[in-house]
Amino acid sequence: MPDVPHNSGYMVAAYIVTAAILVGYALSLYRRSEKR
Amino acid sequence: MSLARKGRLITLIGLGLLALVYVRALAFTPVERLQGPAQKIYYLHVPAAIWAETAMFLVGLAGIFYLFLKDPRLDRFAEASAEAGTVFAGVVLTTGPIWGKPIWGTWWTWDARLTSTLFLFFLYIGYLLLRGAIDDGALRARYGAVLGICGMCLVPFIHLSVYLFRTLHPQPIVLKPSAPSLPGSMLVTLLLSFGVFTLLYVGFVMQRYALALAQAEQDERGAHA
Repeated sequence: MPDVPHNSGYMVAAYIVTAAILVGYALSLYRRSEKR
Repeated sequence: MSLARKGRLITLIGLGLLALVYVRALAFTPVERLQGPAQKIYYLHVPAAIWAETAMFLVGLAGIFYLFLKDPRLDRFAEASAEAGTVFAGVVLTTGPIWGKPIWGTWWTWDARLTSTLFLFFLYIGYLLLRGAIDDGALRARYGAVLGICGMCLVPFIHLSVYLFRTLHPQPIVLKPSAPSLPGSMLVTLLLSFGVFTLLYVGFVMQRYALALAQAEQDERGAHA
């Protein structure tokens, strides 16, 4: 049986990038609505 | 409670639940034996892809109804949905290559699914640029509706591209005519994540709609002054 590949770094990177994009957009909406 | 506040609350709940999805995906969902931990990118990539495509479909539907009814609420919804869709398309186009590198051995390949998804992202950008470039509200809404309808026509092609062409991208294992071929625990994590992304879409659209409404009211005040 083949060993499970060790590639958790890619997984962590994807999870961080996704959180950054979603939180960043939420903050952008918040700042734009506060400006008005 | 105003629409913007409701949207903000839903977004905050969505982001909180996203943290729980992270915990479930990373700690309580089994590791796929062949792909390893990188397979867990699936739980973010797929819901983001579904909403990137659905958001464009809704932009197109709102565009069709706008052309008949001339209701500015439809145009505001289309604008809000397009911006949220751009964000989800951005998630798809970053998580995809990060997943592709360890599994396919390359960050990117010009196959039908990847190329058509990139085209969807450019369509979103083009849609937002077009709206930003036109001052006349009615003209902006009409042009936006036409471009949105073009984008809507692209969505089924993106979904079917893995069947129509020989691609490196795998075929759907959940959104297909037969039963999902995913173990129960993985399917539950995927469905939870999809629910959270749905909540985020709703929260984003409500907030963006409120912004568009405020802008329209400001423009109207400016026109009367």
